[in-house]
Parts: sequence; C-alpha cells; structure tokens
Amino acid sequence: MSSHREAPEISKDPVADNADVYAFVSPDNPDTVTIISNFVPLQGPAGGPNFFEFGDDVLYSIYIDNDSDAEPEIEYQFQFNSTLQNPNTFLYNTGQVTSLDSPNWNKRQFYSVTRIDAGSGHGNGGNQGGPAFPNGASHATVLGTNLACPPCNIGPRSTPDYEANLGAAAVHTLASGETVFCGQRNDPFYVDLGSIFDLGDLRPVQNFHLISTPAAPGVDGTKALNIHTIAIQVPITMLTRDGSKPSNVSSATAVLGIWSGASRRKVRVMNDGGNGSVGSGPWVQVSRLGNPLFNEVIVPLGKKDEWNGENPVGDAEYLPNVQHPELAGLLPVLYPGVFPSLAAVTAPRADLVAILLTGIPSGIVPGFQNYTGPTYADMLRLNVAVPPAASPNPLGLVAGDPAGFPNGRRVADDIVTIEVRAIAGLTYTLINPSYALDGAVNLLTDGTGPGSGRYLSRFPYVGTPHDGYDTPSI
Amino acid sequence: MHTISRRAFLKTAGVATGAAALTASPAVAAALEPGALETMPSGQLPHEPIVAIIRNADLGEVTVLSGRTEKTYTDKMLVKRLLKAARLNHHPAGEKGVA
Repeated sequence: MSSHREAPEISKDPVADNADVYAFVSPDNPDTVTIISNFVPLQGPAGGPNFFEFGDDVLYSIYIDNDSDAEPEIEYQFQFNSTLQNPNTFLYNTGQVTSLDSPNWNKRQFYSVTRIDAGSGHGNGGNQGGPAFPNGASHATVLGTNLACPPCNIGPRSTPDYEANLGAAAVHTLASGETVFCGQRNDPFYVDLGSIFDLGDLRPVQNFHLISTPAAPGVDGTKALNIHTIAIQVPITMLTRDGSKPSNVSSATAVLGIWSGASRRKVRVMNDGGNGSVGSGPWVQVSRLGNPLFNEVIVPLGKKDEWNGENPVGDAEYLPNVQHPELAGLLPVLYPGVFPSLAAVTAPRADLVAILLTGIPSGIVPGFQNYTGPTYADMLRLNVAVPPAASPNPLGLVAGDPAGFPNGRRVADDIVTIEVRAIAGLTYTLINPSYALDGAVNLLTDGTGPGSGRYLSRFPYVGTPHDGYDTPSI
Repeated sequence: MHTISRRAFLKTAGVATGAAALTASPAVAAALEPGALETMPSGQLPHEPIVAIIRNADLGEVTVLSGRTEKTYTDKMLVKRLLKAARLNHHPAGEKGVA
C-alpha cells in the first residue's frame, strides 16, 4: 500500500518500485508546486551493511500533462550513480559522517536531473523511457549533475544530527529554478497493513466484520519504516501550458495531470566474474503511479504488471474496474448488514470515474474542478489555483478542504480513509443526491493517522528517516 | 574444424541492416565461434552488448537491440545462422561451423 509491492513483478524489484506520488502547491512557497515520488518501500532502518539506495540502472521519471490530453508535456528524469571510496572495507562508513563530502562516507550516490519538454522542436532527446512523448519533437535540458544524495540514517554514532548535517544539505537549488532532493526519508504514508490484507479488516470497526473480533485501535504498519524520496519543487509558471500562474479555479489552464514511473533497459546482461551487469535496448517502464491505491485496489492481479508498463492515456481499459470496483462488492459481504445501500448499487460509479480517471468537472463540488477532459487516465490532478490550506484537513476535499486529495495529494492526507469511504459510497452522493448513504460510511477508517514528527514544514516536507540504532527492529 | 570469419558470416547473411547491427557485436561473434573473432573490427566496439532476439523463426523475424534502440528485421538467412549458432552451444566447442 499505497503502491508498495502492489504488483507481482515490481514486488521483486524494490529499487524501481514506485510506492507513492504526491503533488501539491507548496504551503510555504505557494508560487511553486512540489512533486514527490517515493521508491524502495518498506525499508527497515537497520538494514546494513549495504544500506538502501536508488538503482543506478533505473530511469526515474516524473510526468506532467498541462494540456489535458493525458500525455506528458514535461518530464523530469532522475538518474543515479554510485561511487565507492574504499573497496577494501566492508563498512558503509569508516567513521562519523557529518557532511556530504565526509571522507568517512564510503558508499555514496549522486544523480543528474534532466527536463524534457515535448513539442518544442529541438530534436528527440527525451523520447526515452516510460511513456514516449507524442510523435512530435522534444527537447532535453540537463539541469544538474553530480548532485549528492544524503547517506542513509545509520545511527547517532555514524550520522549524528542527521537532518542538519546531511538531510538539509542535500537540498539542491538548480540554476534553472527548480529545487530538488533525492534520498532516504521517513515514509509519509500511513496505513494499517496488517489488518487491511486480513480479509479487509478495519480494526476500529472489526466488531462488524464477518469474522468478528472486538473493535481496536489501528496499527500503523509503516510507522517505523523508511523510503527513498525523489522530490522536486517547480515554479508554477514553469509547469502550466501558457507559463502563467493561474488564479481562476475554473480555468482549464490551472489543472495539471501528474504521475511518475521507473524504467529499466529492455535487456540486462550479467558480466562475467560477478562484475555487475550492463543494459541494452530501449528503456521499458516497469512501474508507474498516479492516484494512490489505483493499481493496488482497482486493477486485478492478472493485469497489474501490464498496467505498470502502460501509459495513463490507455487507461480506458480499466474503466470497468473503476465503474464497478471489486472492493465495493466485498464490503457488504465482509460487513454483513452494514452497507445495504451500497449493496444495492448496480449503476456504474461515475463518482469514482471522475475522481480517478477524468478529474471532477465543474458543478459537482461548489467552487472546485480538476477536470482534464474525457480521456480516461490515472493521474493525480492538481488545480494549482487552489491555494494551500491554512489548516489542512487530512481528509481533503471530502472534508471541505479543496487543497487536499483528490486535488493532488499532500504528504499527510489520509488516503486510506478517503478512498475506503469513497468506494463505500460517500462520493456517490455527489452524482446521485437521492442516494441514501449507509450510516457506517463516515465511521470507516483503518484507525491510523499522520502522527507527530513524520513531516517537515519545509521542502522536501517528508521527515527525517528513522535511524537504525534507535529503530533496530520493526 | 571449419571456421568462418565474421566478415564471411556477414557476407553470407547478406542483409545490410542486420549486418550493420551485428558488425560491432563481440557477443554474437563469440557465440558463433570463439576462434573466429576478427582482429580488425570495422568500427569502434560499443560499450554495451548488442542483443538479437529471434521473434519468429518461420518468418525470419529478428529483433536487434543496440544502445537504446530496438528494431525488428526480416532476414531468414540471419535467423537461420543464429539458430545454427545457438545449436552449436550444445555441442563441443569447434565441432561444427555455422556456414
């Protein structure tokens, strides 16, 4: 969850496993949008001696559609390169690491950032990896090279005062106007993994479950785990189709479609003598993510790998799975007598189609829209004309906070509660006012919450990773 | 033991596009016959391996991956020789040539 190990193939390839995507107008810098894409999920902080890192052989991409065609007009590519200072020690660090250029830090990782703009008529340099740009020309600009990642957070002896010495130091401002960070972080996504995959149990309401046990508080399965974050903050004027900073929520120019992905070379050839491997052939997308839980919960098991290799513009194939989600059929079975209205719904779920595949058109939620046209495509849709909330509500739009999911997604948004309630019928009332919402819907939750200390109030907004010494087991 | 030079192999294969992709391929040449490596390559060897995938032997379809490109050719002779080379992998080295 939300897309941690969500498909059979990618669950065996953690460094390419795109776990979550977030996109929001930066609360402390509202002229910018922050996009975060997380990989290498479910990291035990004590996972040495070879601590976690990005894949040097993976192409990481963040895509932006700014003209509502479900195709990318902008792509930010991130590629990594690891170095070894001393191959004759087994140690990740040979002493305290108090700076990004510390001689005691043995295994380092650096990265480059490249922006691809479609259709600008400057060649075809960006037509690689994941969804190819439409058949027009594109232009690639290298924005930064040899940018340092921070080390993993090992413990107070190895990486003292981690955030000040290493985390904050790894925030790089590029001459082109973007700010970037790539490295280990505290996983911002919270969920009761243990209960949800035990036949859809939600501990706070499990006394109503088919296999009933007394109600209990939720248990956050990712609370002590780390993840690797790719974060970029971009001026809004560098993302919109006309270079403006929209202020009119109803303007189509204000809506950005955003997703990310990871690609590998088509062929991997192992070198002789255990000397690594080399790739051949084009980049092939092996993971992607737009809306949280889409591939996890909507797409059936036999299609998940295929979905990861496809582009949002082709997601019409999955329209029936959104119109009639499997979970909506399971809830009345798993919680007998609790969802009689939901059990009676046979019409296609146009509310879920709007949230997940087209954006919400004007006229559904007063004063809000993030519609990107009739093309069915799984993307986060962010209306950048909606200002950041002074007091964010983790339940986002369904709780009256239009700055949160499904208007983009903030790091602390309560995705599990929002989506379980939506599937249970909460948002069906938006398109069918006569629908009698089941009384239990507003009680549905997995019982987890953002918690304190999990986030930063500044870029990259995701918090300091847990250190291995203080989090020796999970 | 019959050996065949890479140049002779390419001449026999006889398709300019397919041959161009294979010219700088030490992996393919080595697969054909370890002793047949040409000492004067016609071009700079690529950093990455060149890979040929036979898609449909009956139709002679072979996909060549080189750098970040991938292209499928129809070349029944090339496919035939690749299949023959592949079969050689299962015989003692040098027992048979591919011509």
